[in-house]
Amino acid sequence: MTSPVRLAQPWAPQPWGATDGAPSTASDPLFLEKFPSMRLISWIWHVRGSLALPPAQSSEDAFDRLAPLFREAGTRHERIDDTLTFHKKDPTAQDKMSVFDGGVLRIEKSPAGPVLRYHLVSRALLFCFLLAPLFLGFAQLTIAMGKFQKPATEVAGHHGKAADAYKKAAAKAEADKAAPVPLNPIDKFLGAPEPEKPKKGDEDKPGRRNKKPSPTPAYVFAGIFAILYVVGRILEDRLAKALFKKRLLDVQDA
Amino acid sequence: MDGIRVGKRVIGTQAPVTVGWENIPKVEGGPVRQFIFTWFQPTMLFALLAFWYYAPNSIAKASVGVGIGIGFRVLLLGLEWVNPRFESWRLTWKELVTDLFYVGLGYTLLRFVDSYIGSDVMVKAIQVHVHWESLKWFTGLPLLLQAFLIVFIFDFGQYWMHRGMHNWYPLWLPHSVHHYITQLNINKGAVGNPVELFLIGLGVGGFFDFVPRAFLLAGTFGLAVGSYQHINVRFNSPRWWRFLFNTTEHHSLHHSQDYESTRSNYSNTFIFIDRMFGTCIDGEAELLGMEGGRRMSVREQMTYPFTEGWKTLKERFGRPSAAVPAE
Repeated sequence: MTSPVRLAQPWAPQPWGATDGAPSTASDPLFLEKFPSMRLISWIWHVRGSLALPPAQSSEDAFDRLAPLFREAGTRHERIDDTLTFHKKDPTAQDKMSVFDGGVLRIEKSPAGPVLRYHLVSRALLFCFLLAPLFLGFAQLTIAMGKFQKPATEVAGHHGKAADAYKKAAAKAEADKAAPVPLNPIDKFLGAPEPEKPKKGDEDKPGRRNKKPSPTPAYVFAGIFAILYVVGRILEDRLAKALFKKRLLDVQDA
Repeated sequence: MDGIRVGKRVIGTQAPVTVGWENIPKVEGGPVRQFIFTWFQPTMLFALLAFWYYAPNSIAKASVGVGIGIGFRVLLLGLEWVNPRFESWRLTWKELVTDLFYVGLGYTLLRFVDSYIGSDVMVKAIQVHVHWESLKWFTGLPLLLQAFLIVFIFDFGQYWMHRGMHNWYPLWLPHSVHHYITQLNINKGAVGNPVELFLIGLGVGGFFDFVPRAFLLAGTFGLAVGSYQHINVRFNSPRWWRFLFNTTEHHSLHHSQDYESTRSNYSNTFIFIDRMFGTCIDGEAELLGMEGGRRMSVREQMTYPFTEGWKTLKERFGRPSAAVPAE
């Protein structure tokens, strides 16, 4: 984790990520100013970092080199003195910074030379972070609904005599299906195994209609998203730094 | 843009597209790479069919099918990494998270809803009232033919549902969300508004699941053919393959930014259904999406059909806004 940056002022008049004029709490840094305690958890979707620049590099030159990154579709940016503010609306998947919805890049003078400090905000990171609990919720919902699930006849809306008739028909259909089907002579000739009579209560057969909904997939996806969040939080932080570094340092060397 | 005449229509007037197999690039690289990406698709299809055809009953189970399905998709993700069709379609972390979110919804919430009001209920209700004896003709067919018919019936229904979505505004609204994707990746087929995902899943192909082995074989067509619809891998698919099966080339045209191209290649697995009804175009496109490639946020993907539908209703039936007086 990189050190926090003092947020630059003043902010662009239109808050980032606002689609209808209303500020978006997820990506609006003013949100952090209003609610300082949120800083404790803001690392979830805020990426902060710094990059030492060559001693002779002016902020104008540095921002000129970074400018192509902000000329993507759906991106607007504003440069005021040593600060560049950008925000993105529906960036394309091909945009190298599409994971971020907005941010501030600021060049500060230090005794060792100029330093680029950046503060990027990503709703995608927040979304991924929240997906794990969401899918855990789905798992709990599945368990709860399984407990309250009524017998099939009632669920199907059959009552009284109609329910009995339905029950008989369903049982007959199941019994008919359970009977092994003889193999076609072509399949016999080709050596396909003869089908077995399904065992009672055998749930591991294709098709899912006769199975109770299971919470397992929801648990699996909760785990996947937890892992993806950790990977994304580290990866996107590094990729952003590498991207800035490439634009600011490599191009200069070339 | 001039476009290219294909039958009665001119395609590619709004965005670049490639038409004709002879114009589509081949796999580049050494002989090993070319060999792998030429024979991978047919080899996997026949290997999986042979596996399910001959597997002992103790192995021919749904759980094994799920395991193979996951493993195969992970393998395809690896192929996307090694041999992408287009660099601009390369999978990013954000795209992966979004795709998996929808895959996850499909395995959890949508499956849950389906068990109450979807095709599962529909098929179960039909099966209860159908006389088993009347279906003996089907269950007595060779396994591979049964499998083909299960997939074909489902695909035929899906073709018309999909074509309906492109021709009838109320169905287009939920489907339009899926057309805002700007690249194809292995899980992109799952991305869309949940209403559309529910609708497209409706079908009675699953009705014929009386013989478990035939059902598993049918699943192989979905896995080893249908999966290539949304994949960022360059293959040299054999001529017979691309004549019979839907490919990522076909489907990229369907997702093109060119409107006329999107009105083609509607089938899911068997492109010959499109050939039967005159909607097939052989070709590919790199620039995908709507509104010039605007990528929708997940929030908008969830709400778009409703907000757009409401706007349209207001325009059609709402009070006309008061005229602005001249100064």
